[in-house]
Amino acid sequence: MDKFANVGWPEMLLMALIGFVLVFVVLVLLIYIMKGMGWFFARERKAKVAASAEHADDHAISDQELAAAIITALKLYKSNLHDQESEMLTINRITRAYSPWNSKIHGLTQVPERK
Amino acid sequence: MTALLQSGNFILDSLVKFVEMSGFMAFFADGGWKFIVMLAIACLLLYLAIKKEFEPLLLLPIAFGMLLTNLPGAGMFHSEFFAGGHVDWAQFAAGKFGLLDVLYLGVKLGVYPCLIFIGVGAMTDFGPLIANPKSFLLGAAAQLGIFATFLGAYALGFEPNQCGSIGIIGGADGPTSIFLTARLSPELLGPIAIAAYSYMALVPVIQPPIMKALTTDKERRIKMSQLRQVSKTEKILFPIIIAIIISLFLPDAAPLVGSLMLGNLMKECGVVDRLSKTVQNELMNIVVIFLGISVGATATAETFLNAQTLFILCLGILAFSGGTAGGVLLAKFMNLFAKEGNKINPLIGSAGISAVPMAARVSQTVGQEYDKSNFLLMHAMGPNVAGVVGSAVAAGILLAFLG
Repeated sequence: MDKFANVGWPEMLLMALIGFVLVFVVLVLLIYIMKGMGWFFARERKAKVAASAEHADDHAISDQELAAAIITALKLYKSNLHDQESEMLTINRITRAYSPWNSKIHGLTQVPERK
Repeated sequence: MTALLQSGNFILDSLVKFVEMSGFMAFFADGGWKFIVMLAIACLLLYLAIKKEFEPLLLLPIAFGMLLTNLPGAGMFHSEFFAGGHVDWAQFAAGKFGLLDVLYLGVKLGVYPCLIFIGVGAMTDFGPLIANPKSFLLGAAAQLGIFATFLGAYALGFEPNQCGSIGIIGGADGPTSIFLTARLSPELLGPIAIAAYSYMALVPVIQPPIMKALTTDKERRIKMSQLRQVSKTEKILFPIIIAIIISLFLPDAAPLVGSLMLGNLMKECGVVDRLSKTVQNELMNIVVIFLGISVGATATAETFLNAQTLFILCLGILAFSGGTAGGVLLAKFMNLFAKEGNKINPLIGSAGISAVPMAARVSQTVGQEYDKSNFLLMHAMGPNVAGVVGSAVAAGILLAFLG
């Protein structure tokens, strides 16, 4: 190909080197941009957290109210407590000898047959 | 009687003509054995795709395209219409084209790789990369394979533009390889696409020995700190910023990077779910079929059965190995300056060659061989997606130099 008639080893080595370095340069630039973006959003998050903490201070409740809320919650919780039971069911199989007194067939009313 | 003889002769002539026109006769003509070899290779690739499941989504259409183009007499693909880097539109206007000629226009004009990149972008989560931007360095180092192979190809006597196309195999990124090769050296498209996709399927075989050879037992057990959470706004801004910066720096990389970032923005913005799903599924699948068939169509006997193809396959291994080594070695180098607790497990460096997400999975698997409680997957996804951006940047650079 005429276009590459003057391309030899020195040019190829230079192209490879510049190409590889350029990949690094572009991606390092992206690292800084991403870091900058991360820093900006981290600052924004911190500002939000601080603002919400301030906001919480505005609506601060007194110690007495807090104590009353805790006591009420404990009272409600304890009133719901019951004795602990095992909640385990056991079915024992009992085998009984046959007796006409516990026979189902004899216990049922026989339907008369029409002849 | 004469009429009967005449009609007999006519039928005989027609039969002879029919037999001569059939593709079977071409097998016995001069050089006909090449068609048989190519059909056998196509069948072997079909076997690898179906039975061994080597990247079947792409290898199957590629192999079938190869089969169709090597059927003598079918005239489905004419490489001469695209010779010299130009499309011979006169042949299309005259209606003398085959089905695969029409499909190949999408490759030649660089449409399919970009459409696939929109889908890839929509399927990619850049979160780990945004959380740890240092991963970009590993993605850059893994492009070492591209430039080492570029020189290796030149040593084997390839033209500089062909060297660029062969080198990009090291990007381990099919659409990028096809995009660049279609522009720089379309005559090598078949072997390069086959090498790129075959080696991508072989990443779990190629990478682990190199990763183990270049790291110590202690390094393989390094546990990395948990990544920070990335906000939705950051994820939305990322594709926009990357598309602007890279396109301004390297206009030649704009089609690939722009498409990748468009797909990602569709996914992350959350207001075009229908479009995002379409590019991830329907569009991607349709384009993969067209791309596979038309790339396979370029693998004709004349372009495929020569020493160049063998060289390309060997250089492909060098490209993947060089990229893997580059990533691992840079991670080790970065550890020399990192504080205790901030060290990088060098195994994630190998994921920088892209091949998403296979290379990241390899990092995870190798890491777990040494410490079951070490989870490297999310850390490896950073360099992995950085590798996609890195290989697109490298393709843009090569295109700017050699295009």
